[in-house]
Amino acid sequence: MISVHNLSYKYPGYSRLVLNDISLEVQRGEFVGIVGPNGAGKSSLCYALAGFIPHFYCGSLKGTVEVAGKIIADTTLGELAGSVGMVVQNPFNQITGARFTVLEEVAFGLENLGIPRDQIVPRVEETLALVGLQGFEERSPFALSGGQQQRLAIASVIAMRPDVLILDEPTSQLDPVGTRDVFAALHSLTQTGMTTVVLVEHKLEWIASFATRVIAMVDAKILADGNPLEVLVDPHIQEVGVGATRYTQAARLAQRRGLIPQDRALPVTLKDTQRFFEEPSHD
Amino acid sequence: MTIPFSLYAGRESGLHPVHPLTRLTIAGFVLIAALLIPWTLGTYALFAGLLLPLAAWRRVAGLLLRAVFRFVFPFALSLFLIQGLFWTGGTPVVSLGPLSLKAEGLAFAAAMSGRILLIVSSFLLLAMTTRPDALMLALVQKGLPDQIAYIVLTTMQIVPRFQAKANTILDAQRSRGLETEGSLLRRIRGLLPLAIPLVLGSIVDIEERAIALEARAFSRQGEKTSLVDLPDSTFQRAFRWMLLGLTVALTVARLVSVLR
Repeated sequence: MISVHNLSYKYPGYSRLVLNDISLEVQRGEFVGIVGPNGAGKSSLCYALAGFIPHFYCGSLKGTVEVAGKIIADTTLGELAGSVGMVVQNPFNQITGARFTVLEEVAFGLENLGIPRDQIVPRVEETLALVGLQGFEERSPFALSGGQQQRLAIASVIAMRPDVLILDEPTSQLDPVGTRDVFAALHSLTQTGMTTVVLVEHKLEWIASFATRVIAMVDAKILADGNPLEVLVDPHIQEVGVGATRYTQAARLAQRRGLIPQDRALPVTLKDTQRFFEEPSHD
Repeated sequence: MTIPFSLYAGRESGLHPVHPLTRLTIAGFVLIAALLIPWTLGTYALFAGLLLPLAAWRRVAGLLLRAVFRFVFPFALSLFLIQGLFWTGGTPVVSLGPLSLKAEGLAFAAAMSGRILLIVSSFLLLAMTTRPDALMLALVQKGLPDQIAYIVLTTMQIVPRFQAKANTILDAQRSRGLETEGSLLRRIRGLLPLAIPLVLGSIVDIEERAIALEARAFSRQGEKTSLVDLPDSTFQRAFRWMLLGLTVALTVARLVSVLR
């Protein structure tokens, strides 16, 4: 579904590579979490997958990116929008302002895609329910709270039913309940097998619970790529500033103090952690 | 639903959907008529005979009258007083000491007030009964570029946000000790720390907004649909052409009479 070969990129006017020889294959239906310290190139990778690099930001690009069967460099943003959905960080700026109500705001993308009128409202309603915004249809998008606006931004893109959904820190304004709702919604989309999700997120606990794969980026390069259970407990990842989930931190501390045998695998989710601590030691 | 910067009253009955272009044509016709009708009574007749019944049908008659009174009355009053009192060489109607109201001045004031009344009320009626997005959609369907409709509609919503942001920055800078009160010089000096974050922040916002628009397929070529249906009819189309014809005829007739 996503195929990246030797991608390198510099923003115009900068000499530093923000993406340095990235190669990546993602299959349909995967839920990929991208983690890494600030400035690692996570957002730039998102922009490259959604076509904003190079079409919007220009700059010098090497290598090829293919998403949903389309070569990004040869496809306009207008054509890409139906196949690749992009949600950026600031929810407020993702409200187009071209429409006056929440319902119309979500419908805006569908109108632009040329979806027949009678299909628009059911699709919008379904998506609003998915992100927990039902009942807000007639409100002004600007009258919503930050968290609600963030859900609206996500709903607006999900409603377009892109093959690939790219989200750059989509839960920055959300409380834990809101974050769980969004992750659960994304999870249910990938479960249908139709949608592929690529998500940048600092909240590692959520990545651990929902992502099927984690890519750790440092200094414009991919440092680790694999199963969340392995990548998130990798000591190298912690050294370069990605950090670890609080579960892993607690478990590591327990091992260091000699409370738990060294050979036991470090946990990344609450359930693993419970097992980690409750399993009787053999000695 | 309230729409900022809009006079839309939200009293759409839905029973007789009048196409926004038909309303726009009526407003345009009345506007041109207001400027061209040579008889004073004609302007008032058009107001009472066309605009008021339309407003009553749309259940905004009271609203319209109130707004018209507020906008037009001060104008009319000053017109009647100034033109009436200072018309040179006219026939006095009422005299009070050295002051007298002249008939010609009053007639001129009545004519001008009638025109202003028509211009203001035709625009108000259109604005009160028509959702701005419906009007824009109708114009886009007739070939107005999408981008222009977007700019108009977004501006209505972004400007209040912009003001709110300016106030947030003002509060933030004040809490850091910025002085915004006192002498003129001090106020001017205080302006820079407000303007810079506002302008820079807005430029960053524009970048994200552009990305959001692209992500919603705004620049996609090809057929687009719309959530809102704007029913039109042969009758309405014919009516619009008729009004346009009438407007042209009025203009020509007026030109001929002036040139003769």
